[in-house]
Amino acid sequence: MELGKKQTATQSQKLMIFVLTMALYGLATLFTELIPSYQIGVVEFSVEYFLFIPLTLAMLFDPMAAALGAATGELVFSEIMLGQFGGLGELEKFLTVTIGVFVAGRMVKNPKNCRMVGIAAMTGTGLQLLMGTIVDILKVQLAVEDFEAVAGLPQSVFATEGFAFLNDLLFSGILFCLLPTLYLVPKLYGKIEPLLGMRPRDEKTGLGGISLRVVIGAAIAFAAAAGAELLATGGMPLIEWEAEWAESGTALAAGMVVAALAAVIVLAVLRGKAGKGMAEKA
Amino acid sequence: MNIIEIRNLTYTYPGAEEPILKNISAEIEKGDFLAIVGNNGCGKSTFCKVLNGLIPHFITGDFEGAVEIEGVNTLEADVGTLACKVGYVYQDFENQIVRPTVLDDASYACLNYAMADYQERGREALAMCGLAGRESDYIWQLSGGQTHLLALAGAVALRPDVLILDEPIAQLDPAHADRIYGVLRELNEKYGKTIIVIEHHTEYIADYCRHVMLMKDGGIAWKLPTDRALRRVEELEACQIFPPQVTIAADRMEREGRLPQGQPLPTTVEEGKKAFGGLCYQPQGGTGGKYGEKSEEKTGKKEADREPAIQFRDVSVSYRSVKGEPRQVFRGLNLDVARGEKVALIGSNGAGKSTLMKMAVGLLKPKKGDILLEGESIRDRRTENLSEKVSLVYQNPEDMFIKDSIRADIAYAMEVRGRADWRERTEALLERFRLTHLGDRDGRLLSGGQMRRASLAIGIALNPGILLLDEPTANLDIATRREIVETLNDIKGITETVVIATHDMQLVCGWADRIIVLDRGVVAADGGRDRIFSDWALTETVGIRPPEIFAMGRALDQDARCYTVDEFLRGFRPVRA
Amino acid sequence: MTEKIKAKLAENILDKLSIDFLRGQVLKNAYGNDDTVIAGLDPRVLLLWYVVIGFLPWFTGSLWFLAACFLLVLATTMLARVAGLVLLLFGVGVFTQTGYLLIVSMFFGGNGSTVMPLLILTLKVATCSLASITVFSGLDPDRLSNGLMWYGCPERLSFSISYAYRMLPMLLEEFQNILLSYRMRGNPPAHDTLTGKVRYLIYQVKIIMLSFYPLMLNTAKRSRTTVEALEIKGYRYAAVNKEVKKMKLASLKVTYNDMLFLAVSFLWIALSLLASTVF
Repeated sequence: MELGKKQTATQSQKLMIFVLTMALYGLATLFTELIPSYQIGVVEFSVEYFLFIPLTLAMLFDPMAAALGAATGELVFSEIMLGQFGGLGELEKFLTVTIGVFVAGRMVKNPKNCRMVGIAAMTGTGLQLLMGTIVDILKVQLAVEDFEAVAGLPQSVFATEGFAFLNDLLFSGILFCLLPTLYLVPKLYGKIEPLLGMRPRDEKTGLGGISLRVVIGAAIAFAAAAGAELLATGGMPLIEWEAEWAESGTALAAGMVVAALAAVIVLAVLRGKAGKGMAEKA
Repeated sequence: MNIIEIRNLTYTYPGAEEPILKNISAEIEKGDFLAIVGNNGCGKSTFCKVLNGLIPHFITGDFEGAVEIEGVNTLEADVGTLACKVGYVYQDFENQIVRPTVLDDASYACLNYAMADYQERGREALAMCGLAGRESDYIWQLSGGQTHLLALAGAVALRPDVLILDEPIAQLDPAHADRIYGVLRELNEKYGKTIIVIEHHTEYIADYCRHVMLMKDGGIAWKLPTDRALRRVEELEACQIFPPQVTIAADRMEREGRLPQGQPLPTTVEEGKKAFGGLCYQPQGGTGGKYGEKSEEKTGKKEADREPAIQFRDVSVSYRSVKGEPRQVFRGLNLDVARGEKVALIGSNGAGKSTLMKMAVGLLKPKKGDILLEGESIRDRRTENLSEKVSLVYQNPEDMFIKDSIRADIAYAMEVRGRADWRERTEALLERFRLTHLGDRDGRLLSGGQMRRASLAIGIALNPGILLLDEPTANLDIATRREIVETLNDIKGITETVVIATHDMQLVCGWADRIIVLDRGVVAADGGRDRIFSDWALTETVGIRPPEIFAMGRALDQDARCYTVDEFLRGFRPVRA
Repeated sequence: MTEKIKAKLAENILDKLSIDFLRGQVLKNAYGNDDTVIAGLDPRVLLLWYVVIGFLPWFTGSLWFLAACFLLVLATTMLARVAGLVLLLFGVGVFTQTGYLLIVSMFFGGNGSTVMPLLILTLKVATCSLASITVFSGLDPDRLSNGLMWYGCPERLSFSISYAYRMLPMLLEEFQNILLSYRMRGNPPAHDTLTGKVRYLIYQVKIIMLSFYPLMLNTAKRSRTTVEALEIKGYRYAAVNKEVKKMKLASLKVTYNDMLFLAVSFLWIALSLLASTVF
C-alpha cells in the first residue's frame, strides 16, 4: 500500500513536469517557427536556441519526463499546430531532442554546481546537434538521386552541414543554450519546486548519472531516429519501381483511371440516394 | 444525517515544519449550504482538498485521523471513487478546464471513468449550471463567469453529492456573481446537493448560505447557522472577516445605544428594514451635500483651467475574432481625464475597462482616433518612452514580476534608465510599502497582499504623473483589501492622476472623485457618486451595484445617500419624539 | 539592401509580430475552419490519404507526376481554408530548405544540371508539406487526435494535442503580459543607426529569453492545478482502460463523403500516372 502510494505520487509529478515542459518548449518552438527570417544568411538561427528551457527543467526535475515533454511540445505546437508536420521524419527530431535533454538532465546531480550544469548543457546541445547533422547529411545523400554525380553537391552538403553544426554549437550553443541555462538553473532552484509540490533535487535525490544503460538506450534511440528519417525521405527510391511501370505502365494506368472513375460515379450516386433518403425521413 | 464526518484530522504538507490542519473534528449535514471563512493561510483550501481525497492520495504528507464521506473512509477509497462523491472547483478554475469545447469538458470526467452515458451526463450538468445551448462552443468564447460555470459543470457531471467551490466569485462583477450563486442555490435546493464554498463576501453568505464555519490557525473555531455566525461581529473581525455592512452598522449602533440591546443583529437589507425601522434620515450638511458640491466644483474647474491628463479622441478599437467579424470594443470613444483627478472606471466584465487602460499606456494601438497624454499624442511614441508619464498596474500582479526579487523588480525601470539615485529610491519604496524585509524574495512567492503592494511599488517607481490600476482589490481577503485601500489613499498624495478599474463599489465610493461607467464600449455615465448610484435605471442596465449600506439607506429613505458605514451612522438617528 | 532587410527584421520581433495576431491565426487554423469539406471527413481516412500522398512522390522522379500530385494537395489545402500564416510559413520553409541549397551548390560550380534534381526535390518536399497542412490544419484537433489514437498512437500524444490547443491562448496571454511588462518598464537602446538596430535586435532576443524565467514559474503554478484536476477527472484511469478508448472512438464514422474523397484523389493520381507514361 505504502509503496503503491509513492508510485502514484511520482507518476503525477512526472505528468506535471511533462505538461510544464511541453507547454513552455512548445510555445518557444512556435516562436522560432514564426521567426523564419533568422534562418536566412550565413548564421543559421534555429529551434535549438530554446533548448535551454527543457535543459533547465530536466536538470531540476525528472529528466525523462522533461525530455519527452519537450519533444512532444515541439511536435504538437510547432509541427501539428502550424501544419508543418513532416510525417515519419518528425520521429528523428523527436528522438534526438529527447536524447539530448535526457542525457543533460541525467548528468547533473546537484543543480547548484554551476560547472556541472554548464558541461551538461553543452553536452546535451552538442549531442542533439551532432545527431541532427549526421542524419541531415545521410538524408540529402539518399534523397537526391546520383548524389555524387551532381556537380558540387556533395561538397556543398558537407560544407554547409559541417559549418552549420560548428556554428550552431559554438555560437548559439553558448549564447542561447549554455548562458540561459546557467542563468536560470540557480535562479529557479528552490523556487519552482515548491510551486509543483516537490522537493528540490540534491545529491541524494539526484539520479544515477550516466550509466552504460543510458548510453546504450540513447544509441538505440538514435539508430531508430536515423532509420525513421531515412525511411521517410530517402529510402523509397531504392526500390526499383519506377522503371517497371514506365515501360508497361500506360495500360495499367489506364485501367486505374477507369476503376477510379467507376468508383467515383458509384459513390456519387450512392451518396445522392443516401442524401435523398435522409431528406425524406426528415 | 451527516454526509461528511471528520475525526481528529491532523495534516502536514511534505517538507513543512508545522501541521497546516490541527486536530480537526467536524460534521457536515447532507443538504447543507456551508460557507467556510477564515483569513488567508488558515488552511481552508487544504481542508477542502482533504475532503475530495487529493490529500493524501495525490498530495502526500503526514496524515492522521479519519475523514468519512457518506460513510466511506477517504483512506480506503481512491480519488476516482471520491470524485463521484465530492466535486471540486478551484480558485484558478481556468486551469481546471482541459478540453477545447464545452460539452467535451463537461463530460470528460465521465468519459474517463467509462460511463456509457457520458454525453447525457455532460448535457445534464450543463443544463443544471445554466449553460444549456452552449454545448458546442469553444472555451475561449465563454466569459469569465461562464468559464466558472463550466468548471462547475465538469464537477457536477459525475453527480457528486457534495460540491466544493474555492472563492467562486472573486473576479466577477455582481451580475455574474449572482448568477453563480443562483446556480448553486438551485443545485442545493432542487437537486439536494451539499454545497461548500470558501467565501470572503459576507453579503453573499448572508443571502445564500445556511451555515458558516470559521477556521482559525488550522483548526475549526466554530460552525453556526449563518445569521448567528454573522452576528459575531467582533470575533469575525478579529479573524479578518468583515460581516455585512448592515450587520456592522447595527452592531455599532447597538453599542452606542441607538438601537435596543439584545436584539438579533440584521444580516441582510431585508432584516435591516425591520431593525432600523425606528430610525429616520437626517440629511447631513457634512457628508453627502458637501460631496456633491465638491464634485461639481471639480467639474466646473475642469472645464475652465484644469489641464488634461489623458484624452481619448474618437478612438475605435477592435479585436480579431476566430470566426466572422472582429469584435468592436470601442467605436468613436471620447473621454477626458483631467490632471489631479481620482477616477474610478466601472462596468461589467467585458465592458472595455482593461482595453481602455492598455491603450492609454500605449500597449494597444487604437485603430482609429488618437490618444493624448498631457496634451501630446502618443501615436508615434514608443511605449518605453511613455512610462515616465504613465504607468499601469495589472490585475494579476504575478505578471508584473519579471525579476527574481521584488527589490530588483522595483529597481529595474529606474536602473535601466540610469537614474542616479535608483538604489536609494528603491529602498525608500520598499520602506514605504513595508516590504523591506521581503526585498530579496520572489514576488510570486509572497502572500496576496504583499504581492499587490509590491506591484504598486513597481508601478510608481518612475514617479509617473498618471497611474492606472486594473482591479487592485480583486481576489483579496477583507483585511488585505483594507490594507490595499489604505495604500491607495496613500498613493493619492504621491501620484497626481489615478484611474482605477474595479468592481469593488466600496472602494469606488470611499476613494474616487469621479466615476466613469462603461457599458459595452460606451460611456454610460460620468460624474460623482451621487449621480451614478442614485440613477436606478442606470445601475440596473449596466450591472453595477452600490455598496450594501447604500442600498440599506435607500430602502429606509429614498433620499438617503450613505456610501460608508460611518455616513450611515451619521445620517440615521432615532426619531425624536 | 541586406541592411534594409536587417533593419526591418530588427523592428519585427516584438513590434510587428503581435502575439494577438499569432493567437488569432493559430486558433483560426485549429477551429476557424470546422465547416469545410476537409474538416467534415473522417480523420482516419484523411490520415490514410496523407500517408499515401506523402509517400507517393518519393517513388518517382517524373516531373509530370510530381506536378500533378502538387496540384492535388494544393486543391485540398484550398478546400481546408488554411490560415494565411501557415501558408506563409510553408512558402518560406520550402524556399529555405531547397533554395538555400541551390545557391550554395551553384557557388561550388554547379550549373543547369543542378536545377532539375533540386526542382524535383522541391516538388516532393512541397507536396508532402501541403498534404500535412491539409490534414493537420484542416482537421479539428480533437478529431485529429481521435484519428491518431485509432491508429494506435500513444494516448499521451493525443491528449497533448487537444490540451495544447486549450492551453495555447492562456500561455500566449501570459507571455504577452510579461513582454508588456518589459515594454513598459524596460529601456531599449535607441535604434536609429545600424549599430543601434543590431543592439536593439540583441536586446529583443535577450528579453524574450529572460521572459521565460517568470513564465516558467507562472506556468508551474498553473500546471499543478491542471494535473490535480486531471487526476480528479480520471485521466490516469482512462489511459489504461481500453473501454474508454472504444467510447472515444465510437464517434468516428466513415461516410460516402470520405469514400468519394478517396476515390476522386485516386482518380486524379491515376490520370496523372497515365499522363506521365504517355508523355
